[in-house]
Amino acid sequence: MPRLSEVAESFRIAVASLRVNLMRSILTTAGVVVGVVLVVLMGWTISGLDAVWEKTISIIGKDMIYIDKWNWAGGGNWRLMEARKDITFEQAQALAARMESAEETIPLTRKWGGSVSLGNTSLRCSIMGTTTNYGNTSAGTTMEGRFFSDIEEREAEKVVVIGFNIKKNFFPDESPINKSIKIAGVPYRIVGVIEKRGFLFMDFIDNQVFIPLYAFRSSFGFFDRSFSVGLKAGSERMLNIVRDEAIGHMRSIRNVPPAAEDDFSINEMKAFDEQAKKIRLGIWVVGIGLTLLAFIVGSIGIMNIMYVSVTERTKEIGIRKAIGARRASILAQFLIESSMLCLIGALIAFPIAQTLVGSAQYLAVHVFEQDWAAVVSPFVPLGLLGIAVGVSIVVGLLAGILPAIKASGLDPVEALRSE
Amino acid sequence: MAQHIIEIVNLVKKYEMGHEEVFALRDVTLTLGKNEYVAIMGPSGSGKSTLMNMLGCLDTPTSGTYFFNGENVSEMDDDDLASIRNREIGFVFQTFNLLPRATALQNVELPLVYAGLKSEVRRTRAIDALTKVGLADRMDHRPNELSGGQRQRVAVARALVTSPSIILADEPTGNLDTKTGQDIMQLFGDLWRGGNTVILVTHEEDVARHAHRIIRLRDGLIESDEANPNATAI
Repeated sequence: MPRLSEVAESFRIAVASLRVNLMRSILTTAGVVVGVVLVVLMGWTISGLDAVWEKTISIIGKDMIYIDKWNWAGGGNWRLMEARKDITFEQAQALAARMESAEETIPLTRKWGGSVSLGNTSLRCSIMGTTTNYGNTSAGTTMEGRFFSDIEEREAEKVVVIGFNIKKNFFPDESPINKSIKIAGVPYRIVGVIEKRGFLFMDFIDNQVFIPLYAFRSSFGFFDRSFSVGLKAGSERMLNIVRDEAIGHMRSIRNVPPAAEDDFSINEMKAFDEQAKKIRLGIWVVGIGLTLLAFIVGSIGIMNIMYVSVTERTKEIGIRKAIGARRASILAQFLIESSMLCLIGALIAFPIAQTLVGSAQYLAVHVFEQDWAAVVSPFVPLGLLGIAVGVSIVVGLLAGILPAIKASGLDPVEALRSE
Repeated sequence: MAQHIIEIVNLVKKYEMGHEEVFALRDVTLTLGKNEYVAIMGPSGSGKSTLMNMLGCLDTPTSGTYFFNGENVSEMDDDDLASIRNREIGFVFQTFNLLPRATALQNVELPLVYAGLKSEVRRTRAIDALTKVGLADRMDHRPNELSGGQRQRVAVARALVTSPSIILADEPTGNLDTKTGQDIMQLFGDLWRGGNTVILVTHEEDVARHAHRIIRLRDGLIESDEANPNATAI
């Protein structure tokens, strides 16, 4: 092992030699710079994605289960699900009547590709028919006004709770409460606005409007329409109990024979987590691939310049050996130099990465007005900087090892003779 | 025999040149004592450079033994050789061989760095050595800011700083003008008088006449090994 005095000397030499060849050193680190920038960008993207995802899921509700004909996350056999019988209004009502463990049991039906209009303009949206207790879920929380009431539900009043995007488009600067919009040609009075919920992949959620079930029936009918049932478990702990109870009731309501599989799907936010994990993995694979490539190119550059450095300094190595430098001292000297080269790369990369991250976030929020981007940090996480420094030092050591071995193995007599 | 620093017995060094074997040293036996002042002479090709590399522990022999202060150098590995060079030998080269980007002080400190000494100790001892060679006022100059004679003085200071058993000088005046060369030879004389062991490797009679003992090599063998009663060690 090299002694402390030798390591300190090595640092001094490395700094001096890098300073003499400043431009060369900086150019050499280009590959490492790209590598570190990529590492940081990838890490930031994933942490941003996680933040957005966490927010989305928490808004929709981690404690919600939706019984539906379809598996929302896209899993399962599509043909089998297509062949399932619709979940009828009566079945949804029966489940609501039997459920005991859930805090809320909420029948829901929807018209996809519907539209709402104000004056001459119309907006495409999903029209949801549901009951008043949807307002008790986090998905039904209003930012303005209120959810429709029990009485409004029973009386099939023409009232509507609109999603955030509808408000933003129709009433950007004024309160929409008590204003009227038309759904299927019928005027509905706006009683509430649901707070912004959709992020990134789930933007459609803010394009929904909610009307009382019976109002929905009079406008669109229940015929040939499959219902879903939202179950609010109240806590993540209760999910298993609620799920098991719901499955039991549904099988009995729909007369599923004991050995047969369920003819309905259980949708939970957990299922979307799987999706998110796949996306995450995709970014990792692509990101790591690119990063690896950059670091390989970078380390070849570093290795090359270190070989040049060894050749240029053969005489110096000879002198050092003559006056007592051991193999380890010379080895340490060149390894320290190559890892410092990489460290310079990392130091150049940080401001670049931060600028990219900061401006990407700024552009997304302020220019492209992507609300989801607001939950993403405009700063590179400190932990990532640590990882990038560590990785670049390791790359430097790996790139420097062969040139350093060459230098440490030089014969002092021959090295002294070189010019 | 008391006080033998160097004991060389039947030393042989041969090189492979293609299929040919070239003997740089054929059979050299030699002892050197403490506080001797020796010149090793010989024309080019006589093996004097090879002998110097052997004496300086820069190279190991093909056969024969080399004891340095009782340690068998001929069987040492690279790191042991480096360590013995560091502790026991002070080199002075014809071309000075200073590190161009380091100051005089840093150059002189360097052997102490590899000896693992603390920086305060290194500094004190390096300043002492530079003062001894008369360069106390040039410590922060780099080699290119110094004259040839001053550079060689820095090199001598570097050789001295570890208090080595021998000072091994290879054509130390070869790159200097006559006057400066004489100054450097005077410095070696001073070192010898101060108790140091000095080995000069040279082909110049003018340089060798300072020594008390002159060993002449020819074709890899010792041709003569004589005392020099007329030594002019000044």
